[in-house]
Parts: sequence; C-alpha cells; structure tokens
Amino acid sequence: MERATIWIALALLAAFVPLAQAWQSDQLMRAAQSRSPQALAGARALNAMIVSLDAAEDAAKITAVNQFFNHRITYAEDSDVWGQIDYWASPLELLEKGRGDCEDYVIAKYFSLVALGMPTARLRLVYVRAHLAGPRGAVLAHMVLAYYETAGAEPLILDNLVGEVKPASARGDLEPVFSFNSDGLWQGTGAQSAGDPVARLSKWRDVLAKARAEGFTR
Amino acid sequence: MSLIRQIWLLLLGTLLLAFAGSVAIVVTSARDTLQTQLRLKNSDNAGSLAMVLSQQKGDRELMTLLAGAQFDTGYYRRVRLTAANGTVLFQREADVRPLHAPGWFVATLPIDLEPGVAQVSDGWRALGSVEVLSQTAFAHDELWRGSQRSAGALAIVGVLAGLLGTLVVMRLRRPLDRTVQQAQMLERGEYLQVEEPRVPELRRVTRAMNSMVAQLKLVFEAQAVQVETLRRQASQDALTGLSNRTHLMAQLGGLLSAEDGAAACGLVLLRVERLGDVNRTLGHAATDRLLVAIAQTLQTYAQHVPGCMIGRVNGSDFALCLPVGGVALETGQALSELLRAVLPSFGGPIVVAVGAAEARRGVSLGALVAAADMALARAESGGGEVAVEIAVESPAVSFNGGADDAFKESAPAHFGEASWREHMHEALVQGRVRLASFPVVDTAGTLLHLECPLRVQLDPNGAFEVAAHWLPLAVRSRLTAAADEAALALALEATERDGMPRCVNLSPASLLDSGFASRLRGRLMVASQAALKLSLEVNETAAFEQFDLVQELGRQLRPTGARFGLEHAGEQLGRIDRLFEASLDYVKLDAAVAHGVACHPERAAFVTGMVAMLHGLAIQVMAEGVANEADALALWACGVDGLTGPWISAQHAAAARRAG
Repeated sequence: MERATIWIALALLAAFVPLAQAWQSDQLMRAAQSRSPQALAGARALNAMIVSLDAAEDAAKITAVNQFFNHRITYAEDSDVWGQIDYWASPLELLEKGRGDCEDYVIAKYFSLVALGMPTARLRLVYVRAHLAGPRGAVLAHMVLAYYETAGAEPLILDNLVGEVKPASARGDLEPVFSFNSDGLWQGTGAQSAGDPVARLSKWRDVLAKARAEGFTR
Repeated sequence: MSLIRQIWLLLLGTLLLAFAGSVAIVVTSARDTLQTQLRLKNSDNAGSLAMVLSQQKGDRELMTLLAGAQFDTGYYRRVRLTAANGTVLFQREADVRPLHAPGWFVATLPIDLEPGVAQVSDGWRALGSVEVLSQTAFAHDELWRGSQRSAGALAIVGVLAGLLGTLVVMRLRRPLDRTVQQAQMLERGEYLQVEEPRVPELRRVTRAMNSMVAQLKLVFEAQAVQVETLRRQASQDALTGLSNRTHLMAQLGGLLSAEDGAAACGLVLLRVERLGDVNRTLGHAATDRLLVAIAQTLQTYAQHVPGCMIGRVNGSDFALCLPVGGVALETGQALSELLRAVLPSFGGPIVVAVGAAEARRGVSLGALVAAADMALARAESGGGEVAVEIAVESPAVSFNGGADDAFKESAPAHFGEASWREHMHEALVQGRVRLASFPVVDTAGTLLHLECPLRVQLDPNGAFEVAAHWLPLAVRSRLTAAADEAALALALEATERDGMPRCVNLSPASLLDSGFASRLRGRLMVASQAALKLSLEVNETAAFEQFDLVQELGRQLRPTGARFGLEHAGEQLGRIDRLFEASLDYVKLDAAVAHGVACHPERAAFVTGMVAMLHGLAIQVMAEGVANEADALALWACGVDGLTGPWISAQHAAAARRAG
C-alpha cells in the first residue's frame, strides 16, 4: 500500500515537471499515427533529428532544421496541395503532404526550433518582398524565418529559396515588411482549449493551436 | 405547516430562484461576451500598431509620437513599447472608473483582459514589442445598465408569474376549504352531501365523504323505520291505529301538569255498550269494522281541532282529549251527531255512550278521568241507539305548589283579547318576567343544566304565570319572539352571575320571525362566555313542520358555542327524514314517551331504539317528566344521557339540602 502511494506520488510529480527539460515525443507520434503512414514516417525522421540535436549549439540547430525541411519538402502552391487559396499548414500536415509553400516551410522550421528548446524571442517569422531577378525584376510576396542571436543583432535567414543559412546583409534580395512570432500569444492561448472560438480566429492562431495539439511545445 | 402555506412558500421560492438564476446567467454571459470582444480588440489593435511602428525606420521619437497619438485618440488603458533588451521605451496608462456601475458590481464581475502583444521591427532589426490593453470601464457601464434592464424585465415577469400562481392557488383554496368544511361538519354530526369539486384529488375525498353520508342516510332511514315500528307497537292500538291507553293517559297527564301544557283540558269518553253482545250479533269481523269506523270518525274530527289527542283506552272505550277548556260539551255533541250518521249502517242495536269532563290545569289526571267516567256512567243509564249524555264535570280547582312556592299559579284574570295583549307587552317591556328552574341530571346525579321556562307577571299585582297561560295568546299576538328573547337575556344574565348551565325554550312561532335567529345569535355573541353554557331548544313539531327554519337556526347558533336541541320529542322523530342534517346537540323525549317505561316492555323497547338511533347521529338523549323511581331506573337502562321531571327535581332538592 505504501509502495503504491509512493509510485503514484512520483508519477504525479513527473507530470508536473516542466517540459522544457526534455523533448517529449509521445504526443507527436500519437498525432502522426492518427494521420497517415507518411505523417508517421516524417514524424519519425523529425523526432530523430530533434533527439540528436537536443544538446547542440544554436548554429547547428538552425542549419540542420533548415536543411531538413528544404530537402524533404517540395514547393507547391496551396491551391494545388490543399485546394484553398491560402492555407497555413501545421508541421505534421506539411510532413504528411510533403509539399507546401513558403509560409508552411517557415512554420515547420519555427516549431521544430521551438521543440529543440530555442527561446521564441530569438525567432521571428518575417513577411518580405523577394526580388527574384535583380532590383528591377519580379517581386514576390514571401516569408522567411529570422534568427536573432542577441536582441539587436543582425539576423540569420532560413529560407526555402536559398539552400544555406545566410546573414541578412547577404540577402539583399529580401526586403522585410513585417515580423511576428508567438511571444505573448502563448500566454494568451495557454489556458484556452481547442474548443475556444477565439483560439482559431486568425490563421496564425489557428496554426499555433494545431502545432500545440501536435506536441510542438516546450 | 398548512398545505396552502407550503404551496405559497414553494411558489415564492421557485420564483426567487428563477429570478436570481436568470439575472446571474444573463449578466455573466454578457460579461463573457464583452471579455472576448475586448481580448480580440487588444490583439488586433496591437498588431495594427506594430505594423505602423515598423514602418518608421526605427525613429524612436516618431514611434513614441505614433504610440502616444494612438493612445490619446483611442480608448486604451495602457500602451507600452518595450525594447528588445527589455527596457520600456514608452508607456501611457489611464485608469478610468466606470461612470454608473457601483464598486461592488465591478468587484463581483471583473473583466480579465490579456493585453495584445505584437513585434516591432525596422527592416531586419528587431526593435522590440508593443503591448496594448483596452479600456474596460465602458464595458462595466454597459454591463451595469444591461443588468439593470434584465433585472427589471425579469422582475416584471416574476411578478406576473407570481400573480398567475396566486390565482391558481386561490382557485385551489376554495374547493380545499369546502372539503375541509364538509369533514368538519361530519365531525360535528351534520351529515350533508356537497357538490364535488373539479380538482381530482379533492373530488375523490369529497366523493368518499358523500358516499359515507349516503351510507349513513341509509342506515338512519332503516333505523328510523325500525323506530317507527317500535313506536307504533308501544303506543298504538293494533286494530284502530289510535293511541293506546297508556300512551293517551301519559299525554293527558303531561297536558295537565307541564309548564307549557294547557290552561284547561277536556276529556270526552265514548263507550260501545255491551260490546260482547254486539260481537255475537254482528260477528267478529263486523265488530272490528265498527270499531274502526268509530276510530275514523274520531280521527276526522280530530283533524279539525289542532292539538287534539285521540285513543282507544280499552276494548270498548275511546277517548278524545282537548287541550282547551270550555269546548267539551260541544265536542261531545258534535261527535254524537257524527256517530248517529255512521252507526246505523252497521245494523243491529248499537249504543254508544258519550261522557265529557273538563278540568283546569293543576287538577290531577285521576280526578279528571274519574269525572269523565261519572259522566259516561250517567250517559249509559239512558237508552237509544246513540245515547249522549253530556255531563261536564269540573273538579275543584286546586293549587299546585310546584318546586318553588314563590310561583303560585292562578287562573289568569279574565282580560279581553286586546287588553291581554297590552298587558303582555307591558310585562315584557317592564321586565316583569322571571325564570323558573328545573334540574336535568345525568346518571351520577350531576347537574347537566337547569331548564328555565319563562314566567310572566301579566297583572302587575298578580302572580307570575306559567307558559300554559301566556303562551297560546302570545302566539296569537305574535309576541313569542319578544318573550323568547327576554328569556334568553335573563338566562345569560343568571349564568354570568353564577356560572350554572341553563336551557331556554323557544316557541315554533318565533322561528317565523325572520330576524329572530340573527338577534339571538347577536345576544349570544355579546355574552360569549355565558353562551358556552347555554342550551336552546325548540318543540319537535317545529322540526317536523318547518325543518328548514330549524336547520337554519341551528346553523346560526353553531358558531356561538351554545347547544341546540329539540324538546317534547318522540311522536314524530322517526318521520323527520332529514334529521341528520340538522345540527342538533340533544333531544329531550316527551313525558308521554318516557312515562310507563318500567311496566311496559314495548315502551322501553321504543325508547331504547330511539336512543340507539340518536346516539348514532351523535345526538344526546334526555327524558322529560320522570315521575317515579321505577321509570327513572328503566330509562337509565334504556341508555338515556339525562333525566328531568318531578321526581328528579325532588331528588335534586333533597340532595342539595343534605349537602347544604
């Protein structure tokens, strides 16, 4: 009787230990399994990467995550993949489809880095104008992920147009318009359940809720 | 707690709960809606402001100006600009109290807001974040106003619901009260059937009580039939249906001696001469027919004379008692005329002798009968078919002292009708009235109450006359109501003084006075303590002839606490078919019924039957005119509850002397 009580106490304690200590893959695996075999395969690969990089430096992390998604995912419009004009896919959804557009890349990279323990203050999703063929050429509405090592520093850009991670000064073809992340919003959505109508009112909040449900939290 | 009160409380409680619940729910949902709206507003406004600030190329003053402008022109509680390293670049705050909402309201319903947060950048440079918090004061004011409105509307709805509930409860109350009333009436011995209410549960109860009353009616009717049979066996002659000797003599004796008997009586005796010879000559059947014919003649005559009593006193003798004096001779002559018409049809020599006598009140029964016998003997010594010798004997008037020597009886002075009326009226007005008292006792000899007949001093210098003298003329002058009220007033006064229970008689003629019952009730209500010790009784003939008036009087007297009963009862009691509906407390059996119970088992059987029937209706039974110990013991054996009469008065007085 006493031993049972001790085990129960320990189990309860374990449940309350902050998750920031270690990456818990169970939720991701369960979510992936309920989707499809492709999602499961993708999740396994992602999980393997996260586990291997858990203790690495920031630089290694961002390079690995950038490469992972750039190689795995092929570019396609939302109208082709989802049948909608604009759809922000969650990381698992992206891994399942294997195809996505610029926002989907950025979202998947962002949440993977969060899962790797990166503080959200160092990351920003940035709306940019991409000049594809020189300053007077075609302009594309694009989104990239920016990594700020320190608060006022020049960011490193994770992009699906360009394979490597480059500093912002090296990316003259990108003109930033607006940036955001999930700072302040996690608190807002923290106490909300999936049934809360406010949780999914905007695309960004919707994706946040989905990613959270898939286990991409720390 | 009473059922109606429980229903009221339930109604009230439900309404209050509904009201409070509704208001709470309405207000909380309104608050939640406002809260959500404000959170969204915070979030969106933060995003918009961040976009604007990001276009300023990191110009700090410009950013501060823009943020300030937004704060001043918008409706914000706080706008804060934080640098990437955490320092606060710009903050403006305003705390506005709600205008209308009171402090307790704001404290009870707080509106939690999360601030909206958005990132500010300049190109690639992350500048920091902006935090926006909207004003909530207006929200509380709106909430307060909305709560007041909804509370008001719900209160109106609640009041309407309450009114509706009240109407329903009141509609429920009436049939409930009537059902309870019926139950209470049954408890008191008033067996009335009532209309069934529409409420199903109460309808079942009422139906059950109605069927119980119907059952009781059947039982009562069966008993009444039985009692009637016993009465006939006890008091009637089998062949002719007239009263038998015992009964008639008892009636006559009562007339002569009772307080409210007759001032003078006449007795007419008829004898069929040599009945044995007639029997042999005509045969048994024809003789019986003859006797029946004579009886029928007497009955026909008696119908014209109110209060006249007829009977067959032995095989050949018939008698006719007249409750007034001075008409015996005429009666005898009239009867002989009638008989002369009837008898010849039978053929053969049939001789009927008729003799009559008269006596004033106070003369003994024996003396009157002896006088009538002598008259008959003189008539017999004549001859012819119908020999009528009318000899009117008046035995010497003798004074009867009675229980109290102060009340000497005398023949009333011979006033004319009009002046008599005047004397009576004056006597009542001047209060020249007194009450006599005769005890009514129970088996143990304890006093049940004092019977108090009224005596009126008609002649200012004369004696206080008994009812036998003043009542018949009071009836003709319609002064009985005044006399009865005077008697009641005296009785109430006396009872208030000495606390003894008393009984007052009311005459049937007073019931015809429409205000009589309510006046009596008024007097009794005023003297409420004494009323509880008072009994009022009315003659059985009133119940037989004017049942509704008697029932109404009973109902009026019920709330005063006074008891109500019948006196001189027995002849017609079994034939009053709604006796169980009258609210009677007791019945006093007439002296004629109580007399001779010891020697005649049929009479005892009749009394026992009556007692059983009346006890079944929760009515006490007493017997009047008990003249000897044997009758008293026999009556106790029959089960009566109380006795009164000369022997009882004597016993009571003796006991009082022994005690005193």
